[in-house]
Amino acid sequence: MMEKMIFGRYLPMESFVHRMDPRAKLVVITLFIGVIFLANNLLTYGILVLFTFASIFASKIPIKFLLNGLSFLFWIILFTFFLHIFFTREGDVIFTFGWIKIYEHGLQQAIFISLRFFLLVLITSLLTLTTSPIDITDGMESLLNPLKKLRFPVHELALMMSIALRFIPTLMDETDKILKAQMARGVNFSEGSLKKRAQSVVPLLIPLFISAFKRAEELAIAMEARGYRGGEGRTKYRLLKWKGMDTLAALLVILLGGLLYVFRS
Amino acid sequence: MKIKTIAVNGIIAALYIAITGIIQPIAFSQIQFRIPEMFNHLIVFNKKYFFGIVLGVFLANLFFSDLLPYDLYFGVAHSIICLSLTILISTFVKNVWARMIVNTLIFSGMMFIIAYELNLAIGLPFWETWLFTAIGEFVVMAIGAPLMKAIDARVKFEKMM
Repeated sequence: MMEKMIFGRYLPMESFVHRMDPRAKLVVITLFIGVIFLANNLLTYGILVLFTFASIFASKIPIKFLLNGLSFLFWIILFTFFLHIFFTREGDVIFTFGWIKIYEHGLQQAIFISLRFFLLVLITSLLTLTTSPIDITDGMESLLNPLKKLRFPVHELALMMSIALRFIPTLMDETDKILKAQMARGVNFSEGSLKKRAQSVVPLLIPLFISAFKRAEELAIAMEARGYRGGEGRTKYRLLKWKGMDTLAALLVILLGGLLYVFRS
Repeated sequence: MKIKTIAVNGIIAALYIAITGIIQPIAFSQIQFRIPEMFNHLIVFNKKYFFGIVLGVFLANLFFSDLLPYDLYFGVAHSIICLSLTILISTFVKNVWARMIVNTLIFSGMMFIIAYELNLAIGLPFWETWLFTAIGEFVVMAIGAPLMKAIDARVKFEKMM
């Protein structure tokens, strides 16, 4: 759990997808979320499967690793599958067993919706697997830049996200320490009614909040002492560079959308 | 924006993740009681907690969500809309308890956004999903309100910003 938390789901490797600009990945994923809904028959879903697995291949993330991280998803997909197979009652009956009737459209819906969801999660998992959280922050800051004209605090938001990422491991250690200290004093967090458990969390949260606010105070003083004066005129340590392959990736998703539109029924 | 506001919001988002990652699995792994949802009540003490809560939701979805693409958009949108509504209503409602009730009702009622997400993602029936997710959210927020008030008695959230 700690490892998963500290590093997110990022898996550093050398691949086409890893090298892509984080902004391009965010754009591609957003386009993909829209485009995927165009698929509605066997051919269009086939194209989507090909695209998804080609993307995974380009990322060099081992399929086994990708699927291992999605074990909980299996149950959601299974639930979705059975929900549609039993409760969608349209089309001809293709199977009857006692009171259970499976309809043609129900089976089709079950397969298509489960597959669509599975593919979407696979492709979007590539974002967190191939991009470090700090790169995602930089990418988002850059993409949100136009909102600065509307006086939206883009730089401040990105800075907050960087601070959060920096302090997650520290606060996790602290949470763990306080949790163990309270458990040593006999607090049982995992048994009893919901009310009792919720109440037992209060003595845990009070020192946590106090210590977190103390850290924030110290951080603010340190930033002020070092002359932090906001984002205006600041240069960046990590520079983003949109390359030809980023444009190519975005065009590929648009092409995918075109293909799905042409071949959908 | 003041430096302290930035620092506090960043740390609150980090705390949101720490609690999601450490306390949630130990205390409530078998029960659908999402303890970080309590953080939504921070907004009734001071509207400046807005970004910290939203960022916490965003990062938690980024790290833990199984419905990743949908949660990143719908989960975050749900928080932004609900918190904004609470801020708006809080200009007329000054009592903290009343604000917490309003906040609980807003978060529960607006669960139609999440119901729509689940309808879109895995085809769950919209109305039933709205009802069940709203009940779940209501319970979490209702239990969270006195807890946050108890913590506030010691921590003084309003003055911390």
